[in-house]
Amino acid sequence: MNDYNPISALIIFFGIAILLFLLFRPTKGWFWLLQKNFKSNEKVIIEDILKQLYHFENSGNKVDTRTLVEVLNFKNKRIVEAIKKMSINDLVYFDKDALKLTEEGHEYALRIIRVHRLWERYLADKTGFHKNEWHDRAERMEHKLSHDETNKLASQLGNPKFDPHGDPIPTKTGKIADIEGVELPRLPVNSIARITHIEDEPEVIYKQILAENIHIGSLLKVVENNNTRIVFHSEGEEFVLAPIVASNLTVLPIEKEVVIEENIARLSGLQENEMAEIIGISKESRGESRRRLLDLGFVKGSKIKIDLLNPLGEPHAYLVKGTSIALRKDQASKILIKKSEHAD
Amino acid sequence: MQTKVVKSACETCAHFNAEGLKKLGIHAENFDFVVALAGNPNTGKSTVFNALTGLRQHTGNWPGKTVTRAEGGFQYNEQKYKLVDLPGTYSLLSTSTDEEVARDFLLFGRPDVTVIVADANRLERNLNLVLQILEITDKAVLCLNLMDEAKRNSIVIDQRVLAKDLGIPVVATSARYKEGIPELIQTISEVANGTIVCKPHRIKNVSPNIEKAVKKLSKEIEKEFPGIANSRWIAFRLLEGDSQIIEALKTGELV
Amino acid sequence: MSKKNIEHIIELSNELRWQIGDDFHDNLTEGIYADAANIVRDSVQTEKGKKRFRLDSKIDKIVTSKTFGFPIMFLILGVVLWLTIIGANYPSSMLANLLLDTIHPALKSGASNIGMPWWLDGFLIDGVYLAVAWVIAVMLPPMAIFFPMFTLLEDFGYLPRVAFNLDNLFKKSGAHGKQALTMSMGFGCNAAGIVATRIIDSPRERLIAIITNNFSLCNGRWPTQILIATIFIGAVVPSSFSSVAALLSVIGIAVLGMAFMFLTSWGLSKTVLKGEVSTFNLELPPYRPPRFWRTLYTSLIDRTLIVLWRAIVFAAPAGAVIWLICNIHVSGDVSIAAWLIDSFDGFGWLLGLNGVILLAYIVAIPANEIVIPTILMLTVLATGMSGGEGAGVMFELDSISATGDVLRAGGWTLLTAINLMLFSLLHNPCSTTIYTIYKETKSAKWTAVASILPVILGFIVTFLVAQIWRLF
Ligand SMILES: Nc1nc2c(ncn2[C@@H]2O[C@H](COP(=O)(O)OP(=O)(O)OP(=O)(O)O)[C@@H](O)[C@H]2O)c(=O)[nH]1
Ligand SMILES: [Mg+2]
Repeated sequence: MNDYNPISALIIFFGIAILLFLLFRPTKGWFWLLQKNFKSNEKVIIEDILKQLYHFENSGNKVDTRTLVEVLNFKNKRIVEAIKKMSINDLVYFDKDALKLTEEGHEYALRIIRVHRLWERYLADKTGFHKNEWHDRAERMEHKLSHDETNKLASQLGNPKFDPHGDPIPTKTGKIADIEGVELPRLPVNSIARITHIEDEPEVIYKQILAENIHIGSLLKVVENNNTRIVFHSEGEEFVLAPIVASNLTVLPIEKEVVIEENIARLSGLQENEMAEIIGISKESRGESRRRLLDLGFVKGSKIKIDLLNPLGEPHAYLVKGTSIALRKDQASKILIKKSEHAD
Repeated sequence: MQTKVVKSACETCAHFNAEGLKKLGIHAENFDFVVALAGNPNTGKSTVFNALTGLRQHTGNWPGKTVTRAEGGFQYNEQKYKLVDLPGTYSLLSTSTDEEVARDFLLFGRPDVTVIVADANRLERNLNLVLQILEITDKAVLCLNLMDEAKRNSIVIDQRVLAKDLGIPVVATSARYKEGIPELIQTISEVANGTIVCKPHRIKNVSPNIEKAVKKLSKEIEKEFPGIANSRWIAFRLLEGDSQIIEALKTGELV
Repeated sequence: MSKKNIEHIIELSNELRWQIGDDFHDNLTEGIYADAANIVRDSVQTEKGKKRFRLDSKIDKIVTSKTFGFPIMFLILGVVLWLTIIGANYPSSMLANLLLDTIHPALKSGASNIGMPWWLDGFLIDGVYLAVAWVIAVMLPPMAIFFPMFTLLEDFGYLPRVAFNLDNLFKKSGAHGKQALTMSMGFGCNAAGIVATRIIDSPRERLIAIITNNFSLCNGRWPTQILIATIFIGAVVPSSFSSVAALLSVIGIAVLGMAFMFLTSWGLSKTVLKGEVSTFNLELPPYRPPRFWRTLYTSLIDRTLIVLWRAIVFAAPAGAVIWLICNIHVSGDVSIAAWLIDSFDGFGWLLGLNGVILLAYIVAIPANEIVIPTILMLTVLATGMSGGEGAGVMFELDSISATGDVLRAGGWTLLTAINLMLFSLLHNPCSTTIYTIYKETKSAKWTAVASILPVILGFIVTFLVAQIWRLF
């Protein structure tokens, strides 16, 4: 007590604070790094290899051990060991140099993919995690859920067909639906299509797509398509993408001569004093929040206008079916409207 | 039967027997009927509850004031009614946790009469819930509350037509000023005792492929549970994949 | 009813669901609304052009405007607190006069007349009775003024507008906008605020709302703030400004509480409760003129009953405990209380507080209302000043200046007062609230987090303030 002075007390305090921060800060804290190092076990490696093989085979590519080492984030030695074990257990076999899945391995891989996609669907429907976190979380979860837990999860979610990116979820018995459509860059100018799938790997490209606020399920019309860029209109906005980004979007061309309505916009784009009619809710809005929007009267055909602007920019309050309801911008951007000509 | 249903408020008020009413506060033991108060948030359910029981449930002008269910009672013409005030709900079709209390009570609590409190100023949006409840129960009363405000907003509601369309009695009230409460009590007792027989509206405007699926499924359900009143509702929920309902069906809680 | 048939029904439903696809819910809801529209067309007539009350939307434009929205919010908070501070004085001293100056001596002499042993008389009258009386005198008046006014605002329909205005801040801190509503409920009672979090439908955001509800000054803490601010902060400015200074400092603490609420929400949503808010929707109801007298009356009765009930359930036993720890001796003639105060003193001093305050907060875990009475009583004990009627007696301090004198004699400075106000904002919730948290979360872990986190914050903040204060 005697040698106390406020400065030294403060120094000790901040010393401890900094130490704790270094240890426990999110993801990069030393404690977490250490913990992660101890965790990656053999099962994880085996399952990751199976998944990679499945994806490669699906896209018609051959795989050898070296490619695996490149794409997977594990030490060479551990991968070789894992492959050895897998061939003993009859999950993979070598066809010359190329590594291939056996029937059993194929089934196993589908099971992992089922868990992964179900979990993404779960995250999308039932939790508030941001889209760019879904993949990593599912990546961890796919090694953890047991068979029964998976089936229970599936039935809780209502046995969904597709994950939030539009990828088909394999069924209990290993049935898997097809993704319909082509890559966006293959679409000629002026054609109309619906976005059916947004690929979430590699992460850099996925993040770009997310930043653009492109919604799955929305209609688009290509207005420019060349080697440098692809421009399309959708939901009242214009999007410009580099071809390699655009090729991560799968779209289903619409053959029939549909009229893509002129005044379509997102509710977030509605101005004060404009009147509009709701056309629908984007597929991007899911689960509980979609249901709540419907229950609140944001259904096809409802008239809508801005009732109150927020002093801090969002949420605005919208007048719909006689009641003023406040919605945040990201939700409003998932409600599609058709502006009517005359303001009320 | 139709003539009975379409009873306007004034016909019933003649029958109201003021001497027969006794507010019981929280003392609602040995009751003859359970009456649930359901409705959208902020429509005045708790105000109606207070008017009927003489209790002082908290009310407030914002949606979500009541979050737990409250019970009270009143006695009318020698019969005891237990009244249950529920949190407001927008819908019974969701699985969200904030609406769980109300949803569970309406589905599994099996009230003898369900009083649906609706805001007369916003009838259309309130009907979303009303029509859902009518799929579950055939003993219901629509309490058209906030009539004083509706009058100020120059909204005129033809209660006869409304009652006929919905197939349940409609009572107009201004619960805050205790207007229409006697009529409400009288109507509740008549529905409870079967003097008024309801013929609830069924949801019509569903697309053909869904209607077909619902028909097929509810036929199966009726085969299994003859005489069940809400087979269509169960079919709706099964098609949605509601795991709670699936569970309840397995344990037989629903019938 | 056979299991097999039910399985069959469920299988069939799975099959059909697969065929119908994703749009079932949308279709059904649209169908219901289409029915609703038909019914309404038949039975409802609306006079065109009069859709929404003109006055309503005018008020809305003002209370949510960029320029006036926030000032109005603070103004309203200020006015409510101002009326509370000014209005509570008179009934408070009247009650103190009655309960402490008149009835207490009468009870004492009555007890000695019938020959009650000293320990029973001390235990019952100086312990139990005085604690209850103190709580009633000090807590009841501010509460009976604050809450009716608050209820009026609630009935008018102002609260949802507050939530509307503040939502963006909540969004930025990863929380739900309806947390503004539960926070407001917390101003009344944190336990009630925590039950109110049920309106938040996503579990993560609800948990954040539960954990941070304690940063709303509750029932039992407003009077503490007001009292300490009046005595110490009012004293450093010229007397004509003293109530303004007191008012501003109390508002400052309340706003600081909100700042901590945002900060903690943000911290939680970046770490243990990671995630983003996906859904927020809030219905803004029409304004409704409250039924003024009726609301005042019911809310007054309501508040009075709550305060009285808590006084009896919590303050009475606490009074007994205080009397006991002051009169049971550990070694020689050192009482348990004196011994504890002594051992807490060092740590307390480091935080700019003292052992008395820390001990008082431990004793007062059941109810925040008894913190100040406990502090006074223990201060008298620790300083050995003669002013009370003996060890463990929460004696009467009917005038605020007398209270100030006792505290100053106990070594209190402006720093102690400020840190007490901070610590009163940032410390563990009361036992009722802790129990409610447990009931609502059903998790011992989160209950522990919600209970301990504020104390740690309180330690850190008071520590920093004390060190920086001493630097100058
Ligand atoms: N003018 C008018 N106001 C009413 C009437 N009935 C209720 N209110 C007011 O409407 C508001 C909401 O009433 P509550 O009874 O709390 O509504 P509730 O349906 O219980 O609401 P939740 O519990 O949130 O679902 C309160 O401010 C009442 O005073 C009425 O008939 N006329
Ligand atoms: Mg209520």
